[in-house]
Amino acid sequence: MHYPEPLSKLIDSFMKLPGIGPKTAARLAFHVLAMKEDTVLEFAKALVDVKRQIRYCTVCGHITDRDPCYICKDERRDRTTICVVQDPKDVIAMERMKEYNGLYHVLHGAISPMEGIGPEDIKIAELLARLQDETIQEVILATDPNIEGEATAMYISRLLKPTGIKVTRIAHGLPVGGDLEYADEVTLSKALEGRREL
Amino acid sequence: MFLTDLALTNYRNYERETMRFDQGVNIILGENAQGKTNMMEAIYVLAMAKSHRTSNDKDLIRWNEEYAKIEGKAEKRNGSLSLELLISKKGKRAKCNHIEQQRLSQYVGHLNVVMFAPEDLNLVKGSPQVRRRFIDMEIGQISPVYIHDLSQYQKLLQQRNHCLKMMQTRERSDEAVLDVLTEQLVWLAAKITLRRRQFLSLLEQWAAPIHREISRGAEQLHIRYEPSVDVSDKAELSRIVEAYRETFAAVKEREVQRGTTLVGPHRDEVAFWVNGKNVQTFGSQGQQRTTALAVKLAEIELIFSELGDYPILLLDDVLSELDDFRQTHLLDAIRKKVQTFVTTTSIDGINHDVIQEAAIYRVHSGSVIAPS
Repeated sequence: MHYPEPLSKLIDSFMKLPGIGPKTAARLAFHVLAMKEDTVLEFAKALVDVKRQIRYCTVCGHITDRDPCYICKDERRDRTTICVVQDPKDVIAMERMKEYNGLYHVLHGAISPMEGIGPEDIKIAELLARLQDETIQEVILATDPNIEGEATAMYISRLLKPTGIKVTRIAHGLPVGGDLEYADEVTLSKALEGRREL
Repeated sequence: MFLTDLALTNYRNYERETMRFDQGVNIILGENAQGKTNMMEAIYVLAMAKSHRTSNDKDLIRWNEEYAKIEGKAEKRNGSLSLELLISKKGKRAKCNHIEQQRLSQYVGHLNVVMFAPEDLNLVKGSPQVRRRFIDMEIGQISPVYIHDLSQYQKLLQQRNHCLKMMQTRERSDEAVLDVLTEQLVWLAAKITLRRRQFLSLLEQWAAPIHREISRGAEQLHIRYEPSVDVSDKAELSRIVEAYRETFAAVKEREVQRGTTLVGPHRDEVAFWVNGKNVQTFGSQGQQRTTALAVKLAEIELIFSELGDYPILLLDDVLSELDDFRQTHLLDAIRKKVQTFVTTTSIDGINHDVIQEAAIYRVHSGSVIAPS
């Protein structure tokens, strides 16, 4: 099938997005064709702006439009605690909770020899540099509870051992508010392993 | 437990077929290459969500079709069970009592089967891999957590092997990463080792008396678990972890030289000993057969003791492989308690009332004629 060139270019661009195949891309492109010009211009500007204006915070690595980011700049936050996560999306999830008042450090990945990602490919050196500052008393490791995330957490905890800074790992187990009967066997067995005395 | 109904859609050479089964012995009779083994395989796949014959799920789909579907209804001690497995080129979807299961590890284990096929004689004489696969499949039926640990172990093993390979080629050498991966691996390895040891010691308890009976009291069977670390039979998890740590420390240099992980459950061996001799190397054909049969019959009892329900037994073309005495023993053992499916090209010459009373299904090029 032949599309006029501008249209096929747009379809091709949509297909660069995750989860979008040729059919969805064509549907989206035809939808753009039917949109008002103002809306299309706004959309295009939003795309360019996000790329030009969003950077990574030079302190914690979180996405931001101003450097340092609003979290690192906020004087009311607890500067003695750093929560280490894999991804900017994790910071946003933690912030939604509104319970954590410390700082963050985004690693931008996890150690995975299979994908050729070693400790020097993620922001571990930057974390160590931040810990030179003596105000930090606790590092919370909140990497994903899978093999790569666990390996990364264990690696960092070993690096930090000689510094004497308190290192903690977030717990895993049953989701809160859920029913025990709906939990899968593996999650249940993890929850049982991590049980505590009341 | 009993499989009462089976429906196949686009499965291998079956286009659309529905069957009702007897709670006793069901004989699938037919010439070669008509679809007898395919039906046995379908029951096996319905239970285990994978085939014993192929690791490529696409092979299970009928030629030129998009998907294959297996549906089954079973009666268990604690109620009825309906299972549905859809195999498409993109993957598998499993439903248990009409509810879709998100992980296959949650699906496997609802229907329990024990398969005995001519390949199973390889259990004794084949490579260690065959025996490891056997224990993994069997423990998997009783423990979903084991399936999870095993898949985590395999992922971690790949990570560690990549890390070792990089150290071997000096592309990069970060010993700290290797140490972290080793520490993670040690725990999973110990959990798997402990579970395998428990399983094999139970299996021996059931298999030894059966073996003694089949050999008319002449032979004593021992099943020896030989993991790559030296631990006593009573060692607890923490002791096994410690043993793995020590062993990994000792082989570290060699592992870097070779660029691969040299110890762990992926190198485990299981040996069958009869009267103080290893059956694999020193046993006669007959002893190897007796051992394989005893192990399979023990499995039936083991599943019953763990789950309180007998599994379904699938005998694919093996009756003809056994002599009269072993045949009789097998048929006596299943009588009136284990639902059994038997494939064969002929039932002449088997004089056992179990066979006389059986329901006979005739298979001809992908269609089935039920007993009248």
